[in-house]
Amino acid sequence: MNNQNTKKRMFPVITQTLKMHPVVIVLLALIVIFGSIYPGRFFSPINLKSILRQFVTLTLFALGPSFVVLTGRLDLSYVGIWMLGGVLVWLFKPILGIFSIIMIPIVGIATGLFIGVIQTKARIPSFILTLSLLVTYTGLSALLAGGYPRAVEGYEFITAPLIPLIPTTFLLTIPIIAAAIFLMKYTRICVYLNAIGSNEEGAQLAGINVDKYKILAFTLSGVFTGIGAIVLFQHLGGSAQMELKLNTIVWPLVAIVLGGTPLTGGSGGPQRTLLGAITFTIFYRGLYLSALHPTMVTLLVGVLLIASIIVSARGLKGVTVT
Amino acid sequence: MIQEKLMTRPKLSLEWLRSNMTTVGPFIFVIAVVVIFQLINPFFLSYQGIITLVYAMSYFLIAACGLTFVILTGSFDFSVPSVLRLSALICVMYIEKIGLLVIPLTLVVCLGIGFINGLLLAKFKVPSFLATLGISIVLEGIAWYLSKGHLALMHNETFRSLATSFIAGFPSTLYWGIGVWIICTFLALATAFGRRTYAVGGNLEGAGLSDINVARHRIYVFMLSGFLSGLAGILYMSQMGGGSVRIGADMAIPLFASVVAGGTALTGGVGGPHRTLLGVIIITWIQAGMAMLAIGQDVQMMTFGLIAIGMSIATIDRKRIKIIK
Repeated sequence: MNNQNTKKRMFPVITQTLKMHPVVIVLLALIVIFGSIYPGRFFSPINLKSILRQFVTLTLFALGPSFVVLTGRLDLSYVGIWMLGGVLVWLFKPILGIFSIIMIPIVGIATGLFIGVIQTKARIPSFILTLSLLVTYTGLSALLAGGYPRAVEGYEFITAPLIPLIPTTFLLTIPIIAAAIFLMKYTRICVYLNAIGSNEEGAQLAGINVDKYKILAFTLSGVFTGIGAIVLFQHLGGSAQMELKLNTIVWPLVAIVLGGTPLTGGSGGPQRTLLGAITFTIFYRGLYLSALHPTMVTLLVGVLLIASIIVSARGLKGVTVT
Repeated sequence: MIQEKLMTRPKLSLEWLRSNMTTVGPFIFVIAVVVIFQLINPFFLSYQGIITLVYAMSYFLIAACGLTFVILTGSFDFSVPSVLRLSALICVMYIEKIGLLVIPLTLVVCLGIGFINGLLLAKFKVPSFLATLGISIVLEGIAWYLSKGHLALMHNETFRSLATSFIAGFPSTLYWGIGVWIICTFLALATAFGRRTYAVGGNLEGAGLSDINVARHRIYVFMLSGFLSGLAGILYMSQMGGGSVRIGADMAIPLFASVVAGGTALTGGVGGPHRTLLGVIIITWIQAGMAMLAIGQDVQMMTFGLIAIGMSIATIDRKRIKIIK
């Protein structure tokens, strides 16, 4: 009896989830497809570990910008925060010792606040502002580091293995994810950011201090990227990188859109980005195992980005897109 | 009376200057750039220096003109450098097989890419910045596939002479650049196409209500941008004589900066290709001037990033648009 009841309750939950997150179907389909094509290799411990590692990279880059995308804006500065922060860690190492790692969150917070204030007060489109800032940061990091990557030692404990088969960085990511979910579920920020994203004028008329929450969204993005970049710094090699690659900019965006946060804003958020990140990772690792040329994989990622945006933009009738 | 006149005159001229800042500003900027570089480097305006400047700005001007049309409609085309790279690589890869027929082939391919960009924006409601970003990734994959990552050299002399034969003391690429610029200016200021572009950028809904087929026009504008990027790529390959997948790698921000530095606002509807000439002169002359002084890529990137931010703040039309995303 009891069992039947739970069954009855289970089905609506499942259909509801599938309706809300169509990407779950894609995720399951990808696992089934790749799992049946390469049964041995896809579920091998090495591949699962790589999936977790790549999931960490994507999530930490994509979590912060999700707050901004929720308001209908874009924040592309994440790679810049990671690069400039890394160079500053190297630069301040002789002075601050091991604590020079705090330069990364400082850069993150400062960048987020700066972007927020400029975007709301000077009113220029966020994507071009953050893109220009990203390029400026790349130039600045290359200038400070003298043009080539600088390795920094002393932070190996971040990636030191604790539990076999599970990367330590994944364990460090869990509290960051939890913080993001806490902000979205138990504070008013979620409601306000959603309101701004779906109808900014309406939000203003309803008495929400729109400018304040927009600046908050950008600052939160900077904070999450800054804290995440501490882990990423060691996770991605423990050195400051100089070269700006289009891929590193685009992958987190794919994760955000794939997760179900439309770029026009108003629904979704960081919690959904996790879903997008894991889907993208499995998509990528599956293609990586195949015989496809790496350039074809790049090409397919671009197609995936466009396709996911088209799917997420369905049903937007009255919105003008520029 | 006289005293009053004297009192009001400086105030008036200041007001005039302020209201026409986006027109006068670029001129002042150009003069400042020339004076500063000439003071540091006496060879800046020598004959050899000017030839360098001309080579740096001509293909850039063509690509920037295409981007100007897109920005005039309020959209953005991130794929200009990628289309330029693809066009240059198609030229160098297929010239041995099909000869000079490669030029029309390249232009058709680039028109097609522009068409896809426009279609994604106008029909599928993908924001143009992200649509073109996605297309850029796809084109990067294709460029790697075409070139296999190698440096390819152009051996066809006829093709090389397209941009490098000297006419009246200047390389022919200058005449291509200026010619395209004049055509674009004519197109923007004196034709129905140009009026529609301004209308779409100024007020999208209003343009739709006044019987302009907005979706079709947006596709046309992106096709124009793709075509001009392709032409710029052909001239680039002709003047450089070779290249790899690194072509145009850091071009997106300088290109954008040159359009806004000329006085075309990101919100659309203000500015035009006629202004882009000055913007291109500012950006490419700074670039070439820094290169002549052996200032590295890092400082250049920083400069252009900051110019892009500063110029977007200076030119944007805040009164007209309430919400900027």
